[in-house]
This record gives sequence, C-alpha cells and structure tokens, in this order.
Amino acid sequence: MNKEMLDLAASSIKAAKSAGADDCRVQISRERFVEISYRERKPETIKEASSRGLFIEIFANGRYSGQSTSDLRKEPLQAFISNAVATTKLLAEDPFRSLPDPKYYAGRAQLDLQILDPSYAQLTPEARHSIVKTMEDSCLSLGGDKVISVTAEQYDSYRESVMLSSNGFEGYRESTEYQVGASMSARDEGDRRPMGYYYAGAVSRKTMPRPEEIGALAAKRTLSLFGGKKIQTETLPIIVENQNVPRLLGAFLQAMSGRSIQQKQSFLSDKKGQKVGSDQFTLIDDPLLAGGLGSRLYDSDGFAAKERTMVESGVLNDFYVDWYYGRKLGWEPTTGRSSNLIIPPGKRSVEEIMKDLGRGIYITGFIGGNSNSTTGDSSIGIFGQLFEKGEPVQAIAEMNIADNHLKFWNKLAEVGNDPWVYSSQRSPSLVFTDVVVSGV
Amino acid sequence: MKLVSRRTFLKTAATTAAAAAVAPGLSRDWLGLAYAGTKGYFESEFGITDSLCQKVLAKALSKGGDFADLYFEHSISNYVVLEDGKVNQAYSDVALGVGIRTVKGDQVGYGFTQELDENAMLAAASTAATIADSKGKGVPAKFASLKLEDYYPLKSPLTLVPLESKLPLVQSINDKCFALSPLVIKVNAGFQDQQKRTLVVTSDGEKAEDLLPRVILYANVVAEKNGRRERAGWNLGGRRDFSYYTPAVVEEVAKTAVDRAVVLFDAVQPPAGEMPVVLGPGLTGILLHEAIGHGMEADFNRKNVSTYCTMIGKQVAEPFVTIIDDGTIPNLSGSLNVDDEGTPGQKTVLVDKGILSSYMHDKISARHYKVKPTGNGRRQNYQHYVQPRMRNTYMLPGSATPEDVIKSVDKGIYVQDVANGQVKIGEGDFAFYVSQGWMVENGKLTNPIKDINIMGNGPKMLRNVTMVANDLQMHRGGGGTCGKGGQGVPVGFGMPTTLVKSMTVGGVKA
Repeated sequence: MNKEMLDLAASSIKAAKSAGADDCRVQISRERFVEISYRERKPETIKEASSRGLFIEIFANGRYSGQSTSDLRKEPLQAFISNAVATTKLLAEDPFRSLPDPKYYAGRAQLDLQILDPSYAQLTPEARHSIVKTMEDSCLSLGGDKVISVTAEQYDSYRESVMLSSNGFEGYRESTEYQVGASMSARDEGDRRPMGYYYAGAVSRKTMPRPEEIGALAAKRTLSLFGGKKIQTETLPIIVENQNVPRLLGAFLQAMSGRSIQQKQSFLSDKKGQKVGSDQFTLIDDPLLAGGLGSRLYDSDGFAAKERTMVESGVLNDFYVDWYYGRKLGWEPTTGRSSNLIIPPGKRSVEEIMKDLGRGIYITGFIGGNSNSTTGDSSIGIFGQLFEKGEPVQAIAEMNIADNHLKFWNKLAEVGNDPWVYSSQRSPSLVFTDVVVSGV
Repeated sequence: MKLVSRRTFLKTAATTAAAAAVAPGLSRDWLGLAYAGTKGYFESEFGITDSLCQKVLAKALSKGGDFADLYFEHSISNYVVLEDGKVNQAYSDVALGVGIRTVKGDQVGYGFTQELDENAMLAAASTAATIADSKGKGVPAKFASLKLEDYYPLKSPLTLVPLESKLPLVQSINDKCFALSPLVIKVNAGFQDQQKRTLVVTSDGEKAEDLLPRVILYANVVAEKNGRRERAGWNLGGRRDFSYYTPAVVEEVAKTAVDRAVVLFDAVQPPAGEMPVVLGPGLTGILLHEAIGHGMEADFNRKNVSTYCTMIGKQVAEPFVTIIDDGTIPNLSGSLNVDDEGTPGQKTVLVDKGILSSYMHDKISARHYKVKPTGNGRRQNYQHYVQPRMRNTYMLPGSATPEDVIKSVDKGIYVQDVANGQVKIGEGDFAFYVSQGWMVENGKLTNPIKDINIMGNGPKMLRNVTMVANDLQMHRGGGGTCGKGGQGVPVGFGMPTTLVKSMTVGGVKA
C-alpha cells in the first residue's frame, strides 16, 4: 500500500465533505512507463515519463459529478474539489445516484493475482533495447528482400492506484504491463505494400513470447498478405483467428451492459435465460485469473470481484450491471465492466478444422466496420486466406462480412484449441458456417 | 464510434474513428487563471520565461540533435450529460503539462512532465536528449513570437460559460426530440467544451501561443415502432464559442437526430457485392480521409510504406478531382492557427486536378523531403510527440448537379452518413461504415439502408470517381476524431455529391 497516495485520497474525501459533499469516491493513480521503437537498426523513438491523476466522484444533495485533474498540489487540489462540489449542486437531482451498499464490498478474494512482475525494476535500458533489436533482426531476416520497412516496439509500465470511498471502501492495486510487437511492410505486385504485424501483451516478462518469435511472426503474417484480392461474393464457412475475436465480440459486450439495456439500446435486453448463440458459445468473465491483463480484486464500484459465466452453451446468463444502472433497472447489480474474458478452448487445431471444412476463409484481420448495439446489425471488412481442400490457396482483401449478432453467434460451429493469451480477452479461433462473404 | 487506445500503437496502419472527446464545466471562480489573455499566458500563470525555455532546450540538445521543442498545454474540459430527461451528470478534466522533444534525423526522443518547475522539466529534457549521442548544441536566448491568423475567433472564452447556461441548452434538446416524434422513447444529449491553451517554443528561436476552443452539442435518439427499436444521433460543433448555439442550431441537432432514427424503420439491407456508390455531400468526406488522406501523410511515405509513396506528380484521378487538406477554414474541428510544432496554419493541395501534388508534412518529413512543413504536425496532447496528421479534408466541387449524379446510376447505393472508417496504408485498402443511406434504382433514391460497411482500394477508388457535383458541404460536426499511432486529434471532412463507379458493399444477401 502506498501511504502517500492513500493519505491524499483520504484528505480529498475530507475536503469534499467539508465543501458540502454527502459522499464521495476518489481514485488516484500514477504510472511510470518507457516506450522504445527501432527502425533501420536504430532507435526511432525513445519515450519515457511519469504521470499521475486524481478522479473524484461527488454525491451531493442527491446529485452527481465526476472530476479529474493531474494537478495534485495541495492548494490547487483543494480549490478544485470545492469547485467540484459546487458544480455538482447545480445539476438536476438523480435519485439513483449513491455510493454502493457496502455489503457489495465484502468478500474480496484474498489472493495474489500475480499482476506485478517482481523483476520489473531489474529491466535495464540495455535489456529493453536488446529485446527490440532482437525483434527487428528476426523480422528483417525472415522478411528478406521483400522488406520495405520493419518497426519493432516495446512498451512497459509500472502502475499503482488507490480507491477510497466515504462509506468504507479501500483498495490498492499495483501492476506491471508489457506490450511488444513488430510490424513489417513489404513489396508486393504493383503499388501494393502489405503491412502485417504481431504483438503481445502480458503482466510479466516471463510469460511473454520470445522476441525472436514475435519478429518472425510479424514477417510471416505480412508475407501471407501477398497477392491479396477479392473473390466472388458467396456463402462460406469462416474461421476467425484467435487474436481477432475481441473485435468481433465488442458489440455483443456493449449490448450486455446495464446502460445499454436501461437506455433501450441493446438487442440483448430481453434475452436473459434465452439462447443467443449455438451450443459452442460459452463466455466466462474471470477477474481472478492469475496473471491476467484484466485481473482485479474489485471493480470501479468497489464490488468484490468474482467469476461469472456470462454465456453458457449459447444461453445468456448474465449482464454487466453496475450499481447505478442496477438501481435504475431495479436489478441486482453484477459488475459494470468485463475483466478477463475467456471462451473455453475446443479440441481441434485450426489446421485440422480447415481440412474438415474443405473450402472457406481464414480471417486474420478486420478493417473498418461497426455494429449497431440497438439492433445487433453488424458489418465489417475482412482479410485473410481463402482455403480449399484444407489448404490456404489465396490471400483475400477488400472483402466484408455482415450479419445480425443474434443470427451470427448461432452459426458458431466449432471452437479451436488455440486460446490467445496475450490479451485480457482470451479466445481460441472460432469457426462459423454459412456466412455471406462479400467481394466482387 | 471508437477511440484508438494507446495499446494499438503497434498497429501502424492508421485508423479513424469519429468519437467525442470528453470535456466539462468548472465554475468561474476557480478558473480565474484561465481568463488571462493569450499572449504570455504561460509566463504570467506558470512562470515560463524565455530564459527557462532556453535552459530546458539546452538540456534537450545537450547530446546533440537537429532541433528540439517544448509544447506546453493547459486544457480545461467539461461535459454535461442528459439521461432520462434530466441533466444529471457532469464531468470535467484539467490537464497541465509540457512535452519535450529532441529530434535527430528521423529519430525522436521524448519526455513529458505534469509539473512545470525547472527541475522536472530538465529531467524530462534529459530523457528526450538520449536519442542523440554527440556534442551539445547552443540554443537562442530569445524567442520571436510567430504572427498567426485567427481561424477561430472567440467572443468569449468557454471557461466563462457558467454551468447554469449549459443546463437549459441540453435540456431543450431533449424536449425538442420528444416533441418531434411520438416514436421517440429515449434521448441522450450532452454538451462538451474544451479550452486548450498551448505554447510551442523551438530551438530555432520561435514561439507560438494558441487558444483552441472545441464544442460539441449532441443528441442520440432511440425510437420504437411496432416493438422494433432504432437509434440515430447528430451533433454540431467545432472550434467555436458558446454563442454558436442559437435556437436554430439546437433545432437542427434535434430534428436531424430524430429524422435519422425514424427513417430507419423502413430501412432494407442492400445486396452484397460490387456496385456504383454515390457519396452524398458533407460527412462522406470520411472516404477521402481514409482512401487518400492517411496514405498522403508524409511519415508513411518517407518510410516507403504508403501505397502513394511513388505517385507524386502522377495522374491518380480524373482532371475534375481536386482534394485539399486545410487548417484555415473558420471554426471547423480540424482548423489550426498553428500546428503543434510551431508551423502556422495553412492549406495543402493533395490532388491538384487529378495529379498527386503534395504530402502532408511535419518538420521531420519536411527536412527529409527538403520542402517546407505544411502545418500538419499534430499531437493529441503534451504526452505525445508530433506526427503528420490531417486537418479538414475535402474535395472541391465539380460541375454536375447532385440530381445528375443520382440519375446516372441504374442500381447502386447512396451514402448519406458515415460513422467511421479505417485504411491499410500499404495496400490502400479501406473501409467505411455507412450508418445511413439509400438504395438507388433506375436513377432514383428508393429504400433507406443502414449499418453497412463499404470496402475499397484508395488508388482504385480515386480512378473510379466519375462525376462530381457542385454542392460541396463541409461537415459541421464537432465530434470527428482521427486515431493514428495511439493518438486522437479532431479533424473535419467535406464532400460534394460524388459518383464512384464501383465499390464492394458488404450486404447480407449473396
């Protein structure tokens, strides 16, 4: 626990109450990070800094506001908080705004989430440069004479935060994070210069892929884009590569939020307990996963975190409902936002599944696109590989898939055995059948 | 609408996303310091003198380098929100800091600090200096102030607008939306304002101060008919002051949002595949932003990774196509009196009568190409270094009428609103998401369509522009934000009605 941060949070609460707040909640965070990128075997950018911030939520006379500042000097902060309270009192009353019932704070898991890398302080500038150089070398070497440009990057940070509320919540979190990756641009036919990349994130260095592997994957993925073109519009099975699944899930998650439901902007609002996908579709929210990028012991309401199966064999079990929207809906709150999202892996590899499907499209990236969380309608650009007789035969580009989420997840036919663990959303590759793929 | 997170920094393919910056309302007492006149603001309020800047710049160049600059920022942002009939949420943010950059060739060292005292700044400058490894360079003792035009004159600073004035504005939007149609069941509305003060001081001996306002008034409407729900929204804003929001502007926001929600009940899904696409005037300029704009940002070209990197001087479109990126149009979201590294606001012709004529430069690329910077050096805030970025991007009008353009299409689609887009710089492949449009059948607009992605290839699309109408409109929204390399900056768009003879429409029917 950082006593200085905790004391500042406590004095901020005191200042808010003296200024007339009935209740308040304060979050203070600070971060130190380093970013290094290399191109043409020399540093392209080196960036390093510390930042800090305070966010205070004021509950006064049945009214609510949230205010943030990076100026934590004593006098400006006092003035800032007094002003925040005065501002809050000018707003319309909202009977649903309050701090949560403290019973939801209780039962916090007593475990080490393993989100702080004990070796972080030993990461030297030389080690950082060496990681980035290795990624660059590996990518350049595999890319060979096709390479136009390779950029390799590393970001690492140490972050700590406290949260304190006037009705008894106290939380502290200390974590580290690493993001590394490489991108390669290569010379294809005509004016096409495909760019591909590979990146990975983790809370500790020991769980990261080796830098050589990252560089090589960036090169391999770029070379796989060569000759990309669109094919005839047709209905085909598709395989969505594991690391691209979060983009697909985004709109579905948005429709699961209490706010979307209460504001009548969710295609899932009346679907609790109903089938919204095939039997293959299971989605678990696990905040207590050891070493997860989304791991936490409490959420932004202070609720003690626990594992939830949000979708089970296609049945929608739960929503993301925070304290405020829970009160507005008259529902029992759960948690306001996702933590680590897990789709349990299946038994077969992508290669085996491809062989079985015969002909289809393996999607290795999305472009553009959007989803309407009110209706579930969705349309998104794709690129990847056309496969025939189980083997990739042609890179595809400038193509698109469109569907309604309520229909689309029913087309989920199989889940691969390859969960991608370098994100807070850990999904294996997913197989959907009978998807209209637009092209020529 | 999405913002690009810093975690996407590796995905150097640029993306845009129309999204709204959060901002909101502090009262006048506390913000007294923000009223000071623009000139000398950082000196009078924070003691940022020429001699202090000289020391910090000397530290930034203590290991050599071509040049260094300091970017001071003080931003006050306010955001009031209406939900369920009442303006019952307010948010605000205060950001203060300085970013210090050292540049050597195309290499950048960068540090920032939120504390504007000498020691903190010298420490950040030391970090920036690490990019170089030779002998220190001298810096000027005095800095000459740049003379700038004012493309967003303010009658009154946004920080002088009390919360009491914003509340009835947002409330009136809600009331108007409900009054306009019995189908409306929910309204979210809000008003965001940001007042950003900046000071750039360069080792070339120049300094430039600016006061950048930004406002957005929006309404999002959910309508219900026969158990079906649809949602649409609209916003108006830009670099303006509060006096912009006359009753007529409020009415326009509410009416446009409601009309666009209600029409969706009749919307059909277009067929999938290649077909002619008519771009309606205004917001469809997002297509130019994606199809050509990002690929013309000079950093992608000096690295040879853009599909346009060998095309300067070549014909890329019909002679009636001229495309401009412009920081000088009054009050638009992407307008700039001065860019974020001290180059005065200006306009840049990207495609001149069909010929690719100029990239968009920051100082690094301008040195690389031995040309003058074009005023496109931008950053999200003091925590980020400069990249070449677009401002307001548009196509000049042609000679056809909008009716002629529509009449020329037997079967295709007409794009009215675009929500967002993305491009792959190297291939030129792009996508943009049509939130609203129409089928075109036998030269007429027939059924409305919605929620469709359109795919294309930038150079191919430019060659396929076959008609341009005389009705250029600049989009007056305040929410357009472009994401690149983990940084979001406000941008503007404009377009006349234009025919692209073929693009891939991502419908659901094969």
